[in-house]
Amino acid sequence: MSRRQPGWPLLRQLSGPDRLGRGAAVASPRTRSLRARTASADRVVKSVCPYCAVGCGQNVYVSAGRVTQIEGDPDSPVSRGRLCPKGSATLQLTTGPSRVRQVLHRRPHASEWEPISLDAALDMVADRVIESRRKGWEWEAGGKRVRRSMGLASLGGATLDNEENYLIKKLFSALGVVQVENQARICHSSTVVGLGTSFGRGGATTFPADLQNADCIVIQGSNMAEAHPVAYQWVVEAKAKGAVVVHVDPRFSRTSALADLYVPLRAGTDIAFLGGIINYVLAEGKWFEEYVKAYTNASTIIREDYTDTEDLGGVFSGFDPETRRYLPGSWQYEGTTVNAASGARDQFHRAEPGGEGDRAGGASPQRDETLQHPRCVFQILRRHYARYTPELVEQVCGVPQASFRRVCEAVTDNSNRERTTAFVYAVGWTQHTVGVQFIRAASILQLLLGNIGRPGGGIAAMRGHASIQGSSDIPTLFDLLPGYIPMPHAHRHETLRDFVDADSTTRGYWAHLDAYLVSLLKAWWGPVAMPDNDFCFDYLPRITGSHSTYDTVVEQLEGRCKGYFLFGENPAVGSANTRLQRLGMANLDWLVVRDFSLIESATWWKDGPEIESGELTTEEIGTEVFFFPAAAHTEKAGSFTNTQRLLQWHHQAVEPEGDCRSDLWFVYHLGRRIREKLAGSTDEMDRPLLDLTWDYPTEGRLDEPVAEAVLAEINGWDAAGRPLSSYTEFAPDGSTVCGCWIYCGVYAGGVNRATRRIPHLQQDRTGSQWGWAWPANRRLLYNRASADPAGEPWSERKAYVWWDDQERRWVGHDTPDFVVDRPPDYQPGEGSTGPDGLSGSEPFVVQDDGRGWLFAPTGVVDGPLPTHYEPQESPFTNPLHVGHERNPARRLYPRPGNHLAADPASPGAAVFPYVLTTYRLTEHFTSGGMSRHSPYLSELQPALAVELSPELAAERGLANGGWATIVSPRGAIEARVLVTERMTPLTVQGRRVHQVGLPYHFGPNGLVTGDAVNELTSITLDPNAHIQEVKALVVDVRPGRRPRGPALRRMVEDYQRRAGVTAETGTAV
Amino acid sequence: MPTREQVRSQIEAGVGYEEAGRRLGVPAGQAYLIATGVPADGSGSLTPEQLARPGFIRGGVQELLGVAHHNPSEHPLVEGFVRARVEADEPMRAAARARGVPDHAR
Repeated sequence: MSRRQPGWPLLRQLSGPDRLGRGAAVASPRTRSLRARTASADRVVKSVCPYCAVGCGQNVYVSAGRVTQIEGDPDSPVSRGRLCPKGSATLQLTTGPSRVRQVLHRRPHASEWEPISLDAALDMVADRVIESRRKGWEWEAGGKRVRRSMGLASLGGATLDNEENYLIKKLFSALGVVQVENQARICHSSTVVGLGTSFGRGGATTFPADLQNADCIVIQGSNMAEAHPVAYQWVVEAKAKGAVVVHVDPRFSRTSALADLYVPLRAGTDIAFLGGIINYVLAEGKWFEEYVKAYTNASTIIREDYTDTEDLGGVFSGFDPETRRYLPGSWQYEGTTVNAASGARDQFHRAEPGGEGDRAGGASPQRDETLQHPRCVFQILRRHYARYTPELVEQVCGVPQASFRRVCEAVTDNSNRERTTAFVYAVGWTQHTVGVQFIRAASILQLLLGNIGRPGGGIAAMRGHASIQGSSDIPTLFDLLPGYIPMPHAHRHETLRDFVDADSTTRGYWAHLDAYLVSLLKAWWGPVAMPDNDFCFDYLPRITGSHSTYDTVVEQLEGRCKGYFLFGENPAVGSANTRLQRLGMANLDWLVVRDFSLIESATWWKDGPEIESGELTTEEIGTEVFFFPAAAHTEKAGSFTNTQRLLQWHHQAVEPEGDCRSDLWFVYHLGRRIREKLAGSTDEMDRPLLDLTWDYPTEGRLDEPVAEAVLAEINGWDAAGRPLSSYTEFAPDGSTVCGCWIYCGVYAGGVNRATRRIPHLQQDRTGSQWGWAWPANRRLLYNRASADPAGEPWSERKAYVWWDDQERRWVGHDTPDFVVDRPPDYQPGEGSTGPDGLSGSEPFVVQDDGRGWLFAPTGVVDGPLPTHYEPQESPFTNPLHVGHERNPARRLYPRPGNHLAADPASPGAAVFPYVLTTYRLTEHFTSGGMSRHSPYLSELQPALAVELSPELAAERGLANGGWATIVSPRGAIEARVLVTERMTPLTVQGRRVHQVGLPYHFGPNGLVTGDAVNELTSITLDPNAHIQEVKALVVDVRPGRRPRGPALRRMVEDYQRRAGVTAETGTAV
Repeated sequence: MPTREQVRSQIEAGVGYEEAGRRLGVPAGQAYLIATGVPADGSGSLTPEQLARPGFIRGGVQELLGVAHHNPSEHPLVEGFVRARVEADEPMRAAARARGVPDHAR
């Protein structure tokens, strides 16, 4: 402008060229000074959202050494540039006001934190580890060699990079620590067993973008639109193409609002619902006959001594009521034994009760291809689900028969050669005492309908943390080694060969367990691992049962576990029975917390609920606490594995400030210090630690370990130093190294394929050149099943991979999940093993028999078929199995503080008449440790609210916006009341039942606070996955705020008295 | 401000958006926006019509914003790390030789 602009916008408009006031006239001086982040940035760094497991691509803008903006990456085939509120707010994870950047130390019995240098703190922690390890050391347990320490434990992290989880598991295993767990235990451990035993791999069979190819999508046990909002765009795409969307859930949500059919059901009754659909499919003849006969174990004949729950009043054959365990031998195939690809795989070891041999049988299963034999799986399935009628579904689930039939019709009308149906689920299915069986039920249904391995079909397990899939694959879990190799159990005189014989399969890819395990041992112990010492197999500590995070809490309460690491996890809010979590921590000698802000698990000793109630006094708590501030995802490099098994690399944009460090830095340098302190030790206990390969290169001012080097070890290399490309290159002779066999290929050719970022508009439908998915960059698993036994697509519309007779190979839209040049008519020779032992028409290549398992002969400890049992806490009896109301094999922890509700038929049941279910909000994340410290997110969701129906509100005198106290047999919390028709009262067994809902993100710390909902929940576990039941419990709801101080415990104890609840209540088989 | 026709004529003549922008006196990303109506930073959903517009580039236009992208796929220290591990592991190399496969050449 040639003349000075007047300050008033109206005058500028009238006097300048912008007479319509559309642009220059209305620009204020501040606006004119703004620069687009694209103009001011020095660089934009490729990254991935650190919140949920969708794995939205992010662009991180950096200017003058500071992160200035974080946006969605429009090139991502996963997210197409979108971010939900959490992803949009991740800038504050880097720049937010609540971040701590100084190491803090709480001396035993102190009332305040003191700053301490990072160096001094790390050294002190190293000393604590050495001491607690030694004090808790066991060479033997129960007469069996264990070589481990029960003196310390670790929890976290699903929010950590794969490389960080790898070093945690590696170091802690070498230290002899078996109590290593993370959020995967409490979220989706059921998925590993449920999908793994059914199909071979314990991860989602499909990827969210493939949902756009579905003709019907059933979302159940999930509020996908709110918990995985960006992935929900693919459901919307499917709907725009004419797909039918069905939402089955206790609560009407945004997912329901976009569904064609919403079906409310009683929380915890999904097996009855899915079993009803299975019965409908079988009774109406809607199963995909050719697929079922060729690709499942429907024709396999089961042992003669197998007896079903229908004949034994609610238990399967082999149940021991004294131990509450099953001996599963009678579930096996007639004439042979097979091993599972997941779940319990050591069941037939000769040292186990009922063990029948060392190795899977090897003989081919006996089959009746007519499916008429009374003991063939198909007939067993028919009889097992014969009583799961629409009437039963209505009686148990509260779903009107007409609604149920509409679901059945939608699913079966859209499942055949031309059409496919997908199932989507999340923790609404996993977090139950029968969580694994929920998933097995869906797996059975999808196999019967012929939807597995086909586009628009499959089962999408929607996981909930940035790398929780990764923290299962490279597991900071007690019962697994990387790549789902079982953690070895203690057995007498067990050798590597003993272990391989017990846990491998005869056919399929698990037949090469020895190669995977030896390559892992070589990665960990390098030149020391040799054939004559079983490749240091004895260095691995042994488990002797469950060492889940909940067992660790018991170990803490009983004084045996004295040290604890928390890596980005917040059990004082996020784990079941938070009061016991805190009481356990109050019994520790020391606690290390690594996080961005002072979460509840770091501060419970000074401001937790037990301090408020007077149950604990700060000065009497002897736990020494270290708080180490963690680096944000923008401040470190590493890979996340999202819910579709996709590894995506996030680069470091800026260095962390102050004492903030990555967990990679922390674990590496902690390990380095411990090794230095123990250098020269002649104690045999220390050999695994001192022989460990722990020589990663570091770089930069902070000596940050090079994450790519860790990834290269995870990928593996050969004796010439060449990165391996595939697990088919492994050998069991010690000539190959690989930290995680299922990840082999991510660093093939020396290129970090997790960094690949070819824009989705330039790619095929699978987006295969973005990141790298295990296994072998396949996006849709078991895709051989998308073609018929002859190798032809079932239909042109659903063609995915097929046999090209000219090229003599499998071709198509994805990496074939099959030996690429194996023709459809291939038949294995006598005695063939491994993948060569499967025919050209057996698509489930990790399974011992190459088939999808309708019936699980092994691997699932509480039954080969899903059976409806009531949740541990329920207002209703089980109409199917009187006398076995609940899962007889569920894991219980009867103790003070973990009281369970009275049986539904007892007088005390009326004290807790309502069903509580828990859920997520879009704007918060898990235990709130990240989101409640974000100003943006806190503003969007500032308060805990209990959702309940108008009918219940009237019944209990609850006012919308007012306060309510929610009481369970264990605790009491308060919340604002949100009266809504979204919570539908149901009619079950002839009477009305109300369900109430609570999001579980709140706790006493942060910018927005509230009571932790897990004050109400119990430690009652699924026996396969050791996952807690927090999706269905019983409560009372009363108006008004809860008591403070000692009056709070008195109120809970009064409820317990009125309900007749003791520590033994609810523990009957 | 250049018109759509001005930008498109540059593109149709085989000039890229960076050069077109330089010639017309606007940033490359703005030239792209003028020509296609689609922002180069990828914001906003794309309709089928937008995808078919003259001058539209299917993905990878973020570089037109003029900000250096950081996404390396290799790290200079990894190869040496792996080589050192292999050199230190004679039993591994012996096993490879026994199997008749190449081991690390000294």
